Amino acid sequence: MLKDITLGQYFPGDTVVHRLDPRTKILMVLVYIVALFIAESFVSYAVMMLCLGLVIGISRIRLSTVLRGVKPILFVIILTALLNLFYSEGNVLVEFWIFRITDRGILNAIFMALRIIMLIMGTFMLTYTTSPIMLTYGIEKLLGPLKVFKVPVHELAMIMSMALRLIPTLIEETDKIMSAQKARGAEFDTGNIIQKAKALLPILVPLFISAFRRADELAVAMESRCYHGGEGRTRLNNLKMAARDYLTFAIGAVILAGVIVLAHFGL
Amino acid sequence: MSKDPILKIENLTHVYSQGTPFELSALNGINLEIHRGEIIGVIGHTGSGKSTLIQHLNALIKPTTGKICLDGRDINESKESIKAARSKVGLVFQYPEYQLFEETVYKDIAFGPKNMKLAEDEIDVRVRASAKFVGIGEELLERSPFDLSGGQKRRIAIAGVIAMLPEVLVLDEPMAGLDPAGRRDIMENLMSYHTETGAAILIVTHSMEEAARYAKRMVVLDHGKVAMDGTPEEVFSRGRELRQMGLAVPEMTELADKLRDMGVPLEDTVYTVEQMLSALLKMERGREHA
Repeated sequence: MLKDITLGQYFPGDTVVHRLDPRTKILMVLVYIVALFIAESFVSYAVMMLCLGLVIGISRIRLSTVLRGVKPILFVIILTALLNLFYSEGNVLVEFWIFRITDRGILNAIFMALRIIMLIMGTFMLTYTTSPIMLTYGIEKLLGPLKVFKVPVHELAMIMSMALRLIPTLIEETDKIMSAQKARGAEFDTGNIIQKAKALLPILVPLFISAFRRADELAVAMESRCYHGGEGRTRLNNLKMAARDYLTFAIGAVILAGVIVLAHFGL
Repeated sequence: MSKDPILKIENLTHVYSQGTPFELSALNGINLEIHRGEIIGVIGHTGSGKSTLIQHLNALIKPTTGKICLDGRDINESKESIKAARSKVGLVFQYPEYQLFEETVYKDIAFGPKNMKLAEDEIDVRVRASAKFVGIGEELLERSPFDLSGGQKRRIAIAGVIAMLPEVLVLDEPMAGLDPAGRRDIMENLMSYHTETGAAILIVTHSMEEAARYAKRMVVLDHGKVAMDGTPEEVFSRGRELRQMGLAVPEMTELADKLRDMGVPLEDTVYTVEQMLSALLKMERGREHA
């Protein structure tokens, strides 16, 4: 159940997608998101889907793994689709009680659901194929210019990478604590909403305590390795853009332009 | 001691994430009988299936195939049978002090009995009795568990399970991370619970010495199967097999094996210092007579 959440998980590999510069991947995800929101027709969605499929195919990550990431928010997707289905203007097809289904509504519902699903799958591909260290290094580099405005870019990137790193650990810990309390006769799925909320206390208290303990230990461990922020810190491996990165940028630009043109012609 | 086993594990297998690429079979056909009043040491290499096995015993994990019977009844039969299994089979996890959450030691120990819907005065009796078992004095009962030392927290957590008066007490590495004095204290607390209630005790451990010292029966798990099941003497006489499974035999057994290899005619299975001493003395005496 809790293990289904794969957010922030990294699947090591040695494919072109894995080897791409993290900056390239982050920027391409942004381009992908923009293109998704511009896309308004079956043709452009087909193009986007093809791109996503290609990336998944090249990266050799199983489709089922990528789809699993969508599962936790299935409810949100269905709700969005339903809202779009019932509250869109257009030619009325079916009408009953307060509901009115229009042709435009059906299209909107399909596109909205597709958009969210593809959005999640696309962004998951980033974390699936990029190690957390590379990911934060990429973000740090991309946000680098903000340092001029005294934005603590390095620190933010570090906080993010630690948060990503801790999610699976905390999930595992929650599982363990739940089992331990169940062994003491705790029940989490019975009673009314107040009883259910109260039943969470035996999980949340130990979880918070252990999270703080972990944070404390992590801080000490970092300090004892002389961590003092990003200033003057150098890297063993510096990021370098390669030919494949420039090629990816070119492909991204072509696709984005293509989707814009398609949208312009109302396709 | 009745003849029928309190817990009977029949052909238990468990496969994690069945049908996904992460499929992993943790248990492959375990058959085991646990009788009242037994003290069993469960030993196995990391990944041998120990933790998976013990979580089956109180229905925290459901078997993929096979079944677990408590007093002859399948524990996964209904909601009631699961509930009964949770209170009759007490499970103490690794580092149980991380599950403490209440404001006072008293309330934390009372959590289990409360979930069993016992009467207030019965709960009070049980909390005080189990605190005594683990050597937590009355004066500590109103303190916050988070103010106490690691060893005390561990004992309070164990008391929280003992307060449910389980007939089978299962502990996963109860001594991990404690100093020798703390380890001895906890083992003695458990032994006094054992002698007073006649409960069966299952201790999962890495430490052969500790298992050998307290357990009358040892079960060795390897690759999700019961590899050996017998008295400590029987198990340690198969030292070479144990080493092949990646398990360490007690230091004295190892020493005895080495001495035998060097041609010293040591008899008997030896796994404690005392046994080593008596075996050596016996040999010495035998030489004098010759």
